Amino acid sequence: MTDIPPEPTRPSAWGSLPLRVLFVFALPALLIAFWWLTSDGSTNVYWPPLRTILRTFPDVWTRARLRADLVPSLLRLLAGYASAAVVGVALGTVIGSYRKVRAVCEPVLEFLRAVPPPVLVPVIMLFAGIGDTMKIVVIASGCVWPILLNTVEGVRAVDSVMSETARSYGITGPARMRAVVLPSASPQIFAGLRQALSIGIILMVISEMFAASNGLGFTIVQFQRGFAIPDMWTGILVLGLLGFLLSVVFQLVERRVLGWYHGLRDSSRRSS
Amino acid sequence: MHASLVVSGLRKVYEGSGRRVEAVRDLTFTVDAGELVCLVGPSGCGKTTLLKCMGGLLTPTSGEVLVGGRRVSGPPPGMAFVFQEYGRSLFPWMRVGANVELPLKQKDLSKARRRELVADALESVGLADAAGAYPWQLSGGMQQRVAIARALAYEPEVLLMDEPFAAVDAQTRADLEDLVRRLWRQRGITILFVTHDIDEAVYLGERVLILSASPTVVQEQLKVDLPQERDQLRTRVAPRFAELRTHVYEQIQAAKRGEPS
Amino acid sequence: MKQKQPRGGGPSGRAVNAALGAAGLAAFLALGEVVPRLGIVKERYFPPTSRIARALGDEITDGTFWTDLGDTLTGWALGLVIAVGAGIVAGVVISVVPYLREATASTIEFLRPIPSVALIPLAVLLYGTELRSVLLLVVYASFWQVLVQVMYGVRDVDPVAEETARSYGLGTWARVRHVLWPTALPYVMTGVRLAAAVALILTVTAELVIGAPGLGARIAVAQTSQAVPEMYALIVVTGLLGLLINVGARSVERHALAWHQSVRGEVAV
Repeated sequence: MTDIPPEPTRPSAWGSLPLRVLFVFALPALLIAFWWLTSDGSTNVYWPPLRTILRTFPDVWTRARLRADLVPSLLRLLAGYASAAVVGVALGTVIGSYRKVRAVCEPVLEFLRAVPPPVLVPVIMLFAGIGDTMKIVVIASGCVWPILLNTVEGVRAVDSVMSETARSYGITGPARMRAVVLPSASPQIFAGLRQALSIGIILMVISEMFAASNGLGFTIVQFQRGFAIPDMWTGILVLGLLGFLLSVVFQLVERRVLGWYHGLRDSSRRSS
Repeated sequence: MHASLVVSGLRKVYEGSGRRVEAVRDLTFTVDAGELVCLVGPSGCGKTTLLKCMGGLLTPTSGEVLVGGRRVSGPPPGMAFVFQEYGRSLFPWMRVGANVELPLKQKDLSKARRRELVADALESVGLADAAGAYPWQLSGGMQQRVAIARALAYEPEVLLMDEPFAAVDAQTRADLEDLVRRLWRQRGITILFVTHDIDEAVYLGERVLILSASPTVVQEQLKVDLPQERDQLRTRVAPRFAELRTHVYEQIQAAKRGEPS
Repeated sequence: MKQKQPRGGGPSGRAVNAALGAAGLAAFLALGEVVPRLGIVKERYFPPTSRIARALGDEITDGTFWTDLGDTLTGWALGLVIAVGAGIVAGVVISVVPYLREATASTIEFLRPIPSVALIPLAVLLYGTELRSVLLLVVYASFWQVLVQVMYGVRDVDPVAEETARSYGLGTWARVRHVLWPTALPYVMTGVRLAAAVALILTVTAELVIGAPGLGARIAVAQTSQAVPEMYALIVVTGLLGLLINVGARSVERHALAWHQSVRGEVAV
């Protein structure tokens, strides 16, 4: 829970640009070629040739289909994730700031966090039916724990000298939160947000598999039930791509917000 | 000249899990407006406790601290603090300029005025070009200069410095000492400078307060009758400097043994 | 650098914290009892704590509950063992063989964030409700946690230690065993801890969504048969299971870490 993820590989002494391009694309190209060749003559229904999957792709994922399935999925994910972030950071800041509150809440939070989030789906269906609200609540209530607990840890660990500096200059209340506590906790908060993102995607997919009339999870299961195997494979590819793209976006945001933190770590590593 | 800082009958007892530790027993002294006073004492003599009580970061068990005639019950507005741990006192997520400006945002100042104060403070510590850098991109000595600039921009009546140069190398330290002397003479701020280095105390101060071992009282107050113009080369080899530092050294040894002066 | 805790660090402070925590837990349980009783939420949706406790009592006296629990634990443990084994081997090989790290970086960065639930339809087609369905999801999700930590740990190897080992003529295998592995071990333990939590999530997901036998499937049955208190009781069980795994993994990790630091201290002096 307290793990700050290692920073992505730095472009260190990798040599010249062409060599770098080679390193980035060689293995993926090789793997795709391998898949293409081994699956080419495949007659196994479940492993259609890659050629067929790719040919099916544009027919399945038309603009209309993206609007009908991808957009609702993304909106639910966004709504659930954003509310989890707001609630998690706000509650985490309060709990982290007061030692007594933390002591009271800790066992309950540890338990709630340990509940595997997917089991929330049947519970929340009781309250919220099977509509969008259910999915958003499921995503939010699964994502909130890593964010909340990491925020508590981050807020708790604010450096004592920094706190005293702020106090001695009369920086208190909301200004202290904004200028000192939250930035200081932000590396930890981002570690929580990162964990929450993968949980959010899982919950987005399975809440749609349970009960839905649109969305990526729903559509892919429909393909599978209808034995539209190449279509199902394109769905798996879309989900994979979505996971990858969301992680890229997350990293870009993180690099921007935590630029100071990576710089600080690099400089202290150099001097040690 | 009126007293800018008055400490009277200050006592601080820490109480925790069945143990009572009397860190400061009875401290009384004053610092005049515009004076530069150094505090020295044996290690672990409660210097930091005293400073935190003066800065309003700790509440004394009894006694009181007056800054500009007003009793301290929280961080007083006319006071700035420079900590020893510059790396932990500057905010690493803010650039140098923003670090210096942050305390000013609590005051009711126009944006233009704030910018002016920041530029002026950075200029006078010789870091006019560093406003856009992050603190961790600077050397230790430069980081401490930033912390001093932040204190200056705050325009305090009283500046408290808690062993500010303990963690920088000897050459940087000499530069920073001269910087403090120069800023003090230019700006007429009241400075209370805590150090464990006897030479530094004698070189910097107009007066040296020697503290006893914990539980702390004032062992002796010593007027430093060196010329106003001080110089790392000549002042430190002057016979009077040697006498003064020998005297302070003896007093600290006596304090360690627990003898009154 | 960890700041020191000014208060609450001593044994008495710990006792106070434990008492506060117990009070918090008691309040949580009491709230769960009172809120439905007062009709603030419908008892049908949110049974009172005592009703859930009764259902839990019924569950643990039921033999099939233990079979399901056993199935869940089997899927979890087997998947975790495979993922950890594969993650460690792959991580070490990728780090040790020259240029392999650079060559695989982009592929790993692409494959890692792919949500393993995307594989659910494939698992259903290939293996139905067999254990292998569960394993496919669990291994895919947990493998990356271990792999990434192993690679991070190997990168942390002190170049001086590595050079020293080389200068004494230690071979590749000896260097892996005596230099690389001890340094990477704490990271591996972190990876195992994260993987253990993820593995439980995916085990329960597979059971819940695909219907492979286990606690997840039991929850799905309770849901479709409107046995709401039983459903809550089973969720509590999964939570306790998760708690046990977290606490266990953390204490194992702490031991590995303590050992690591003492060893490093000796080397550094």
